[in-house]
Amino acid sequence: MNTLDPRIKRLSLEPSAEVEKTNSHLITYEVFHQEKRGKHVTHVGVVHASNPEMALVMAKEVFGRRGKTTNLWVVKTSDVYTFGSDDEDMFETTPEKTFRDPAYYKVRDKIEKFQSKQKV
Amino acid sequence: MSNALKNLLYKMADDALIIGHRNSEWTGIGPMLEEDLAFSSMAQDKIGHAQALYKILNEVLGEADPDTLAFKREEKQFKCCQFVEQPIGEYDFSIVRQFLFDHAELIRYDMLTQSSFQPLAQLAKKVKGEIKYHVMHADTFVKQLGNGTEESRARLQSSLNYAWHLSLGIFEKSEFENELISENIFVGEDELKKRWQEKIIPILEVANLKVPATDESKIVYGGRKAFHSEFLKPLLDEMCEVVRTDIDAEW
Amino acid sequence: MYGSTNLSEEDAKRMNTTVEDPEKLEAFESRIARGEKIEPQDWMPVEYRKQLIRMIEQHAHSEIVGALPEGTWITRAPNFRRKLALIAKVQDEIGHGQLLYSAAETLGKTREEMLNDLLNGKSKYSNVFNYPAKTWADIAVIGFLVDGAAIVNQVINSKGSYGPYCRALERICYEESFHLKQGHDNVVYLATGTKHQRAILQDAINRWYVPLLHFFGPPDKMSAHSEKLMKWKVKLASNDDMRNQFLDQYVPKIWELDITFPDPNLKKNNDGIWEFSDPDWNEFKKVINGGGPCNAERIAVRKFAEEAGRWVRQALMNPTEKYVVPLA
Repeated sequence: MNTLDPRIKRLSLEPSAEVEKTNSHLITYEVFHQEKRGKHVTHVGVVHASNPEMALVMAKEVFGRRGKTTNLWVVKTSDVYTFGSDDEDMFETTPEKTFRDPAYYKVRDKIEKFQSKQKV
Repeated sequence: MSNALKNLLYKMADDALIIGHRNSEWTGIGPMLEEDLAFSSMAQDKIGHAQALYKILNEVLGEADPDTLAFKREEKQFKCCQFVEQPIGEYDFSIVRQFLFDHAELIRYDMLTQSSFQPLAQLAKKVKGEIKYHVMHADTFVKQLGNGTEESRARLQSSLNYAWHLSLGIFEKSEFENELISENIFVGEDELKKRWQEKIIPILEVANLKVPATDESKIVYGGRKAFHSEFLKPLLDEMCEVVRTDIDAEW
Repeated sequence: MYGSTNLSEEDAKRMNTTVEDPEKLEAFESRIARGEKIEPQDWMPVEYRKQLIRMIEQHAHSEIVGALPEGTWITRAPNFRRKLALIAKVQDEIGHGQLLYSAAETLGKTREEMLNDLLNGKSKYSNVFNYPAKTWADIAVIGFLVDGAAIVNQVINSKGSYGPYCRALERICYEESFHLKQGHDNVVYLATGTKHQRAILQDAINRWYVPLLHFFGPPDKMSAHSEKLMKWKVKLASNDDMRNQFLDQYVPKIWELDITFPDPNLKKNNDGIWEFSDPDWNEFKKVINGGGPCNAERIAVRKFAEEAGRWVRQALMNPTEKYVVPLA
C-alpha cells in the first residue's frame, strides 16, 4: 500500500483486506472518579472491559490521564439500578418542601418588631 | 565515578526512549480503543523518563541537552539493549515485551530509590508509581490472554519464547559494574536479574505459560557496548528525519 | 473531531412524514424548548434517535480515522516537546472516539455495529481526513486549523439537547483546546523559523485551504434543511455561519505571521461576513464517495486494526456476560 506513514508501511497491508466485520467489544463498566480526598466520587463515563480488574486498568487512562485523581471506581453497567424516566414526577414536589430548608426559618423581622415595641 | 554514572544513565535513558518510541507506534491502531489509550500513555511515560534521565546527564554531568542527546546522536553512541530495538511485531510480542521489560524497570527503579547518587534516587522515587501501573497493566493482560483462548495462549507462549533471550540482554553488565556497586549507586545487574526472575516466574505460571529454558550462549548481549541489532539504525533515521532536514532550526 | 449535521435528501423527506404520538412529542419538544436535556431512558421520536446516532457515530468515526493522518508523523516528531505533544494529541482523538461511541451506544447501537458500518462503508466520517499529511508542517496545520474548525463545530453542538452527547463534548472541547494551543505553537515556530520551515508551512496551508472550507459542508443554499433538527436542537447552526465563524477566528492568526491563503478573494466585508472563492463542491462529493486521495488507506488501516486486535478481544470475552447499553 502506498502510504506516507512509516508505521503503516511496516504493516505491509493488502489494500483489499477482506475484513467486513469486527467482533464484540466486551461489556461496559460505569466509571466513577474522585478528584481529591474528601470529595464525592462522581460518574464520568464508560469503559469496555473484560472484568473489573481490566476495567480499572483501562479507566485510569481513559478518565484519569489529566489533572488530579485519588481513586477510581468501576461498576458493571448491568449492576446499576435506576428509576425509570417516567418516575421523575415522584421528585417533582420535593423542592416545594421548604420547611426542610434552613432558609424557610426567618425570624429577624419578628425580633425587630419585638424590640421596637419594647422601646416604647 | 562520573563515567560510571554516565554509562548507567545513558543505558537507562536510551532503553526508555527506544521502547517508548516503539510502543508509541501502536497509538491509533491498538486492539481496542481503551487499550490504545493505555498503551499510548505508557509510551509517553517512557519517553518522559528518557527525557528526565538525559536532563540529569545534562544538568549534573555536563552532557548536551536532552533534545540533542535523543535526536542528534549516532547509532554507535546509544547504549540501549537490543530487546527494546525490536519492531513492535504483533500485539502479543508488544505485551510480552512490556511485561518482561517493565518488571525489570520496576525493580531497577525501586533499587535506585536507595542510590547514593541523589538526583537519580529522587527521580526513581518520583516515577515509581508510573512504572507500577505499567506492570499492573502488563500483568492483567498476560494473565487474561494466557488464560484466554487457545490462540491467545499460543501467541503469548511463542512471543515469550522469542523474547526470552532478548530480554535477558537487559542485564548485560558494563565495564563500570563493580564501580557502580561499590559506590552504592546501583545494586547491580545480577541482583536485579535474580529478583526479576523471582517476580515474573510465578506470574507466568498463573498465566498458564511455560518459562523458557535459559541457554547462556543465546542471550542477546551487545547493546550496552553499542553493538546494536539491524533495527536501531533505521529507527533513529526515522526518528530524526525532520530534525535532519534543517539541523539548526528550532522546532 | 467532527459530526456532520447535514441531512441526506431521503432523511430530510422522512423527517417530515414520520408520525409520532402527539402527546409524547409535545412533552418532548417542550422539554427541549425549556432548555432541558434529553437523557437515554426518555421517550424520543424515532427520527431524533436515528439522526443523533448517525451524527454521533460519524463524529466518533472522524475521531478514530482522524488519528491516522497525524499518526503519519508520530515516529518523526523532531524533539521531546513535539513528540510528547503529538502522541498525546493523537491519543486524545482515540479517547474522543471512545467517549463518542459510548454516547451513541446509549441510543441503542453498539460500538461493534458502528465499527462494522465504518468498515463496510455504510457510515461516513469527515472528508478532511482523506487528505495526506505530506510534511511535518501538515501536523502544525492540522493541529491548529483542522482542530480549530472542529472546535467551532463542537462548541456549538455541545449546546444541543442530548445529555450524553453534550457531556462527551464538554470534555472533548477542553481537550481540543490543548490541541489547538499546541498546533498554534507549532505553526508559530515554523512561521518564525528558517526559510525551509516557512516554506513547508506555506505549502501545507496551500494544500489544506480547500479541505478546510469543505469541512463545514456545502453552502446553506445547496444543502437539505430540516426545521425539525433545529427545533430539536440536534443541529444548532448553519454550515455558512460555522464557516464564517471559523474564518473570522483563524484567518487573522495566519495572516499576522505573514503566511497567505491561496485565494485572492479571501477577505472580510464590512458587515463582518467573510468572502472567499467558492471551492469545488464536486471535489467534496467525490471525496465523500470514496474518491479522495486517502480514503482507501484510511479504511484499510482501520480494517487492519480491527483484524489485528480480534484475537485479543476474543480471548477477553466472557460468553456468559450479556451486553447492555451504557447508562449515561
